[in-house]
Amino acid sequence: MAYSAATYQAALEKLHHYLQGHAPMTRHEFRQMEPFLEIREFDKRVRVIHEGEVERYLNVVAWGLARKYLPVRNKEITIQLASEGHMIHSELSFHYRVPSRAVVETIEPTVFFSISYDSLEQLYEQIPGFERLGRLMITDLFIKSDNRYFNQLRKSTRERFLEYVRNHPDMVQRVPQKYLASFLNIKPETFSRLKHLTRGKGAKERG
Amino acid sequence: MLEMLRQYISAYVALTGEEFAVLADKLVVREFDRRQLLVRVGEVEEYLSFIIKGLARMYFLKGKTEMITHIAKEGELIGSSSSFLSGKPSYYHVETLEPCTVLSITRANLERAYQESPKIEKLGRLVTTYFVLQKEEWELECMRLDTRERFLRFIGNNPELLTRVPQKYLASYLNMKPETFSRLKNHIKKRPVAGRP
Repeated sequence: MAYSAATYQAALEKLHHYLQGHAPMTRHEFRQMEPFLEIREFDKRVRVIHEGEVERYLNVVAWGLARKYLPVRNKEITIQLASEGHMIHSELSFHYRVPSRAVVETIEPTVFFSISYDSLEQLYEQIPGFERLGRLMITDLFIKSDNRYFNQLRKSTRERFLEYVRNHPDMVQRVPQKYLASFLNIKPETFSRLKHLTRGKGAKERG
Repeated sequence: MLEMLRQYISAYVALTGEEFAVLADKLVVREFDRRQLLVRVGEVEEYLSFIIKGLARMYFLKGKTEMITHIAKEGELIGSSSSFLSGKPSYYHVETLEPCTVLSITRANLERAYQESPKIEKLGRLVTTYFVLQKEEWELECMRLDTRERFLRFIGNNPELLTRVPQKYLASYLNMKPETFSRLKNHIKKRPVAGRP
C-alpha cells in the first residue's frame, strides 16, 4: 500500500486541520513539527502493539479505523475506538515506558501519523507553543474519557446505546457490532435487540 | 503549606523560585468543616485544589445509591477536574470527609499562570496527563482484577485510608458490596498482607 506525494500532502493538511481544532497553529509552526512525524501503514486487523511490548508511538489516525482492547481471561474488552483525526495508543505504556497491557489493532486498513516518545520530548523542548497544543489535546482526551466513564457507571444500557448511535452514526456503520457492544459494555444479544428496536422506530431520538 | 505544594510539583517539573511565585501568587487558602460540599452536581467547578490537610471524596447518585469515584488525602489534588477543565457542569459532588485545608486556584488564574510561564504550562500538561493515566489505570484494574485482588491492592497502597474512611465509602469506591468488603477485611486481620507484589 504505497501512498503518493499528493495523498501525503492531503493527509498532512488533515492533520493540521485536526490540530487546529485544539489550538491555533500557523502553517509555519506546523511545518516545524513535520520532521518529527512518521507515517505508518497497516492492513486491516493488524496488531499495531501487542500485549507485553512497550508502546513506542503516539498515533493519530490519518485514514482508517482502529480499536484498543484489553485481553482479559480469554475475552477482549474494547476500551477505545478511533477514526480519522483521533489519537490512539497504549497510553500507560507510552508514558511510563512499561509493557503494555492493552492491544491496539486496526479494524480497517489504516494509516497513522506517529510520533515516537523521544521525538515528542524533543518537540516539546524545541518548539514553543507545542506545550499548549499538547496540554489542550490531553485535556480533551481526559474530558472524553471521564465522560465515557461516567456514562458507563450512571446510565442504563439503553441510554448508552441511544446516545452513542445519535452521536456517532458513522461508527455504527463502520465498526463490527461485537466491538461496539464490548465498547459500550452491552451484551451482544442486547445490542442486536436495541439496534432492531431503533430501526423499527426509525431511530427516534429521546426527548 | 507552600512547601508541600512545591514538593508535589517537583515530581513533574523543576520550577525556579520566580516561576513558583507566578503560581503561588494566585492561590487562595480555603478551609472546610467535615461534610461540606466543595462543589455540587450541576455546578461548574471553579477551583482546582491541593489538599494540605484532610480527606475528601467525589461521588454521584445512581438512584439512591452513592457511587464514589475518587478519594483524596493530603498531598493530592481534589476537585471535579473534568468540570474544571471543560467549564461545564459537574457530574459529581465533591465533599469533605474530614475538616480540610486546601490551596486553590481558579480556572481564570490558572490560565493566566500558563500565559506568564511556559514551565507552568508544562506542569499543566503533565498533571493532566497524569489524570488521564490514573483514570485509565483504574479502569484497567477494575476489568482485570477480581474483587479480592482489587481490595488487596488498594489496601496495600493506602493502608491509612482503612482507618480514616468509613467502610461503606471504601466499599463503594472499590465497587463492591459492604458485606464483601467486611469479609475481606476480617480475612486480612487474621493474616496481615504485604504491599502489592
